[in-house]
Amino acid sequence: MDIRFSPEEQHFRAECRDWLHDNVTGQRRPMDAAAAIDFDKAWQRRLFDAGWAGINWPKEYGGRGLSIVQQVIWLEEYARAHAPWIGANFVGINHGGPTLILNASEAQKEYHLPRILRGEAIWCQGFSEPGAGSDLAGIRTHARIEGNELVVNGTKIWTSFAHVADWQELVVRTEEGSQRHKGLSWVICPMHAPGIEVRPIRKMSGQVEFAQVFYDDVRVPLDNVVGGLGNGWKVAMSTLSFERGTGFIADQVKQSQEVEELLERARSSGAIKDERIAEQLIQLRAEVAALRAMTYRNISEVVRTGQPGPEASVIRLFASELGQRLERMALLLAGEEVLDFRYGDDDLVADYLRGFAATIAGGTAQIQRDIIAERLLGLPKSR
Amino acid sequence: MDLTPDTEQLALLTATADWCRDNMPLDQARARPAGLWAELDAMGWTAMTAPDMGLTHATEALVFAELGRHLAPVGLIATAVAARWSEHPGKTALALLDSHVAGGRVRVYDPVGADRALGLAGHLVATTPLPSDLGGAPGLDPSAPLAHLDPAPPFTALGDPRAGLHLQLLTAAFAVGCADAARDMAADYAKVREQFDRPIGWFQALKHICADMAVRSAVARSQLYYAAAALDAGDAEAAFHAAAAMRLADQAAIENGRANIQVHGGIGMTDEAYPHLCLKRAHLLSFVAPARRDIILGEAA
Repeated sequence: MDIRFSPEEQHFRAECRDWLHDNVTGQRRPMDAAAAIDFDKAWQRRLFDAGWAGINWPKEYGGRGLSIVQQVIWLEEYARAHAPWIGANFVGINHGGPTLILNASEAQKEYHLPRILRGEAIWCQGFSEPGAGSDLAGIRTHARIEGNELVVNGTKIWTSFAHVADWQELVVRTEEGSQRHKGLSWVICPMHAPGIEVRPIRKMSGQVEFAQVFYDDVRVPLDNVVGGLGNGWKVAMSTLSFERGTGFIADQVKQSQEVEELLERARSSGAIKDERIAEQLIQLRAEVAALRAMTYRNISEVVRTGQPGPEASVIRLFASELGQRLERMALLLAGEEVLDFRYGDDDLVADYLRGFAATIAGGTAQIQRDIIAERLLGLPKSR
Repeated sequence: MDLTPDTEQLALLTATADWCRDNMPLDQARARPAGLWAELDAMGWTAMTAPDMGLTHATEALVFAELGRHLAPVGLIATAVAARWSEHPGKTALALLDSHVAGGRVRVYDPVGADRALGLAGHLVATTPLPSDLGGAPGLDPSAPLAHLDPAPPFTALGDPRAGLHLQLLTAAFAVGCADAARDMAADYAKVREQFDRPIGWFQALKHICADMAVRSAVARSQLYYAAAALDAGDAEAAFHAAAAMRLADQAAIENGRANIQVHGGIGMTDEAYPHLCLKRAHLLSFVAPARRDIILGEAA
């Protein structure tokens, strides 16, 4: 075991740092939705042109073909430089793209991956439904096959970036009468197709960041099915371990910056003299360190064996709850000032309110605990 | 950067686990045979940390977590530190010096057959010779023979602060093992104990208790590995990482110890069953080398 990086990796880190130093100049992502998308696309294009997009994606599809450790180094430096959040490119870069790399046909990869990396195509996710949340296999949105097309009817919900997306990773029931995990397909759905209606939903933080999507006889080419008809569950699951393991490294660096900022704030306001606050900050500082250690362990496992260990689901759960503890701590230190919050403010109160997503989206904390108990400890499956 | 054990470390780990299972099972922790220490000596566990053995802290942490999982004698911790840093290697009792005031009473563990005792005072390791007639009897932890030095003789500090970090690291490793033992005991029981015509581990209420145990274990073990590798690398933050590892390992051992009893229900509260052995060991370990707040907050002078 060794916490030191190799000379090549250190050299790579210096390259990342230099570029970020010259190119991150305090840009803030605009609050206005349309302006934010333009900003996201332009920033992603700049990353791509400079060779910082898809660091560990295959070269033939526009990536750099480097190691996962180099990807981690880039993300660490990215967060350290306070570079802008990748915003609307999040789903394509962190979820859609990796799913395509693992499961898609050559033609699908050749078309979509470079467009994701260049910031030309915005993706959204279409998994949850009003009646299929934690019980994802209860999906009812369906598609009948007509000639070489799928005809989709139904609805999806909690879809982030639906109003600006070009493509959606859509899981639908393609076998009539099929039950549960069977008969589902993972489809690349064009969001500009006729019959799609997007109804934005406002969050309790004031932002309109997700939506419900309705499908009324939406026609999608059969060629857009990824991983074969009826294999949708397998395709969807193939990326969840990625999402649960290595997809949140930038967040972790941000969390370690946050805990230092909170500590600084508590010292300058004198709040650190409060025994309960000091105790919580000590705990947060230790936990943030442990989260990095856990992530490094997981990355090492990927390097050694090619896949994240079963403890990847532990990281996801721990990181999401730790993030919420940090957001609560920020609220506590701010005191009564938080009561002046208004919709439109993008501050620590908005972060606190938005932060509930961490233990709900992409598998609730309860589902994560089920998974840990069943897969890591071997307890009997209850579902 | 690599925080997973290599092939050699895994082989040593397997050998340790096998030996412990056959010769030092947890379910016999309350009455270890008199000859156990001699066997530990013969197998090399008591001198593995000596400088000429050339083992890294990372390897030691792995092995000590395995020993801790079987509730091995806590005297192994003091003996390991003595083997590396003191001029008096050999069986060494573990002293609790954290709140010690001169002339007061000091608790020492595993004193039988030990010439000296060693413990952590502030950030330095300190030792003292022991009287030869010092017997030991179980206190709260039935697996750890305890004696009192009253009044305690003066302790002599070893100059190198790395000895203190070493002691803290090995104690954290023992606590990580202890937390794992409680986690596994709870999960095993939840698979076989039936209520409402099914294993209790089927119910989410039980699953989530067990999942939280797994999270605490994974968090503590990861920080332990990082701290060990930081010590090996001479990292400037090594003291912080060791303190964070100690704090998280203590929490994991105590909270998992408690949860294990809850999962076991009525039988978990009995003297006859084993869950209390893990909990009591966890409480003992929390006094050996407690994490200092100023170090975790980065305020130490």
